[in-house]
Amino acid sequence: MSAVQARRVGAESLIVVPYNRVSAAAVATNMILILLGCFFLLPMLWMLFASIDSNPDWAIRLPSPTLANFVDVLGRADALSSFRSSLILAGTTTVVTTVLAVLAAYPLSRMHIPFKRAFMLAILFASGLPVSMLIIPVYQMYVTFGWLDSLYATALFLSASSLPFAIWLMKNFIDAVPVELEQAAAIDGASTARIVRELVLPLTLPGIAVTAIYTFINAWGAFIIPFVLTYSPDNQPGPVEIYNFMGSHGLFKFGDLAVFSLLFSVPVIVLYLFMSRYFSGAFNFGGAVK
Amino acid sequence: MLSEVRFEGVHKIFGTETAVEDLNLTVGAGEFLVVVGPSGCGKTTTLRMLAGLERPSYGRILIGDKVVNNVSPRFRDVAMVFQSYALYPHMNVYDNLAFGMRARGASGKLVADRVKETADVLGLGQLMKRRPSELSGGQRQRVALGRALIRQPQVFLMDEPLSNLDAGLRVQMRAELSRLHERFRVTTMYVTHDQVEAMTMGDRIAVMNSGRLQQVDAPETLYDSPANIFVAGFIGSPRMNFVPGRLTTAQGKPTVEFLGVKAPLGAGARLTADATDADVTVGIRPEDLMWRKAAGPDSTLSLHAEVDVVEPMGHEAYVTALCAGETVTSRFPPRSGVRTRERVELALNPARLHLFDARSGTTILLRPIAGAADPPRSVGEARTDDSAEGRAERQRQPQARGTQSRAEEIS
Repeated sequence: MSAVQARRVGAESLIVVPYNRVSAAAVATNMILILLGCFFLLPMLWMLFASIDSNPDWAIRLPSPTLANFVDVLGRADALSSFRSSLILAGTTTVVTTVLAVLAAYPLSRMHIPFKRAFMLAILFASGLPVSMLIIPVYQMYVTFGWLDSLYATALFLSASSLPFAIWLMKNFIDAVPVELEQAAAIDGASTARIVRELVLPLTLPGIAVTAIYTFINAWGAFIIPFVLTYSPDNQPGPVEIYNFMGSHGLFKFGDLAVFSLLFSVPVIVLYLFMSRYFSGAFNFGGAVK
Repeated sequence: MLSEVRFEGVHKIFGTETAVEDLNLTVGAGEFLVVVGPSGCGKTTTLRMLAGLERPSYGRILIGDKVVNNVSPRFRDVAMVFQSYALYPHMNVYDNLAFGMRARGASGKLVADRVKETADVLGLGQLMKRRPSELSGGQRQRVALGRALIRQPQVFLMDEPLSNLDAGLRVQMRAELSRLHERFRVTTMYVTHDQVEAMTMGDRIAVMNSGRLQQVDAPETLYDSPANIFVAGFIGSPRMNFVPGRLTTAQGKPTVEFLGVKAPLGAGARLTADATDADVTVGIRPEDLMWRKAAGPDSTLSLHAEVDVVEPMGHEAYVTALCAGETVTSRFPPRSGVRTRERVELALNPARLHLFDARSGTTILLRPIAGAADPPRSVGEARTDDSAEGRAERQRQPQARGTQSRAEEIS
């Protein structure tokens, strides 16, 4: 529109106006992007509307507002216990994964290790493996060890499956910290413990936060692993609970489903917002080297 | 507190690459030694070995009387200024300066006093609360310097500390570093690829190439008596001219033939024992090859050349000319009026010639040819006592030489 205006003004008054061309390619690209965006946004819109609708169904429509669905879900014990389970599962996974990833990534970033490249490639390959491939032998293993239906044992496998990517991510963050800073500190007389405490940790904190948040969000949404490795209703995390909403109640309670999905998404959305702050501004080694 | 640094037969081998080969070098207590050479010559590796960031493959490194090969950087009591400064980005200037002292467990009061003292010396007083990202290049450089100074170490190591500064600031910091050295007299090893820094700052200069030490000498000695073609070509700007020549004996006197002229070597000229009638490379510094009309009476040799390029510098001009099929650079006075294609007569003082073995590239002339009085040198000082004794004396007492006079020259 602005391009058209600009051209018309230019023709009539002979004033040179910056000329914004709208190409056919740009229009097509934007149309496709909008279309794709709809695929993601419409289900969310349904979730929002259905959660406050007194009589929701499959359709997206303006709701007749009520809070009854929220009251209903918050009154259900299984809904609340699934939040507790998800917290334990994702929390444990995050702590274990992040600590191990930092410990693994630091030497991978800084030290001469034989076959490091091969190792890193193996890690990259492992991070691409679908866990469903492993789920049957892992189930067998958990049966043998008697670990089935334990949230902490389940978190252990979730940690193992998220570690490769977390190590890779963390290594890149540590790589970004100039090694000369550590050398300077060593020459300055700092012990390894002091270098880690006063240089490495503060400088990689954004990276650690991103790794932790990323791991948490993945573990929070994990479905197949807890679905297979836990069975008692008390230990079912959120995604499995949502599945139960749909599968076992015969008659769909769309309102409850929407409310539960909405509540379950809140932590993820908050963490994403938090993480985006880190991504935008925190990686600033300005003035450290040149 | 002053400590000598010694490298004894030090090698550093990375995989199949030899970065430093059989290095034997002593940095005198309180001396400012500049290590200079092209990229990849092993100078930074040498410095990093002294810092403890690299471990020598063979040989010993001593600080004072102590072998430090197996001492971690932390306990070597050296301070290093990195090319990139390596300031701690999340700490302000105060904490950057205080880091080393705190790491060594100094009390809060002492740290505060010394930080203030150091900041005063370097003029950082107003910047204490700033982070490195909020400082200019020159200010960062000062903080990096302060972080080294505050420690009062036995040895200072500097790895191209001025290379990230713009030209004006570099000249200023060069003078400041010389002044600081004058004041604190800490044994310093300074690595650079810039020959101007080397010439102006070093008590002595160590020239390295391809991992090998080529020559260690006072700047003027290095300039006047380069040990080989590499040193001759590396030190001095514009570069020394090298032309093929032939050493012969005429009437019992050694004579060198080059560019179509014959120059008998003066009475004081001494050749190395194995120098015989053979092909040689003749080295001529551009400032020794002058325009006949501007040359003094000592320039007894005449060469005819055709001007190719004239590069006026303001206070002088460099003229590239073709002479007997060779391209040579000569120094002309400013506004000489010569033009491209013009035929000119060049004048040369035979006493200023350098002779190198054509194959090995090592010098075959032990002393510059004696004879005529020395013309003024571009380095600034007229040549002093250049006898073997005088040279050895200067090497023994590097700190006795005039850093001060050079500092004045610069500032």
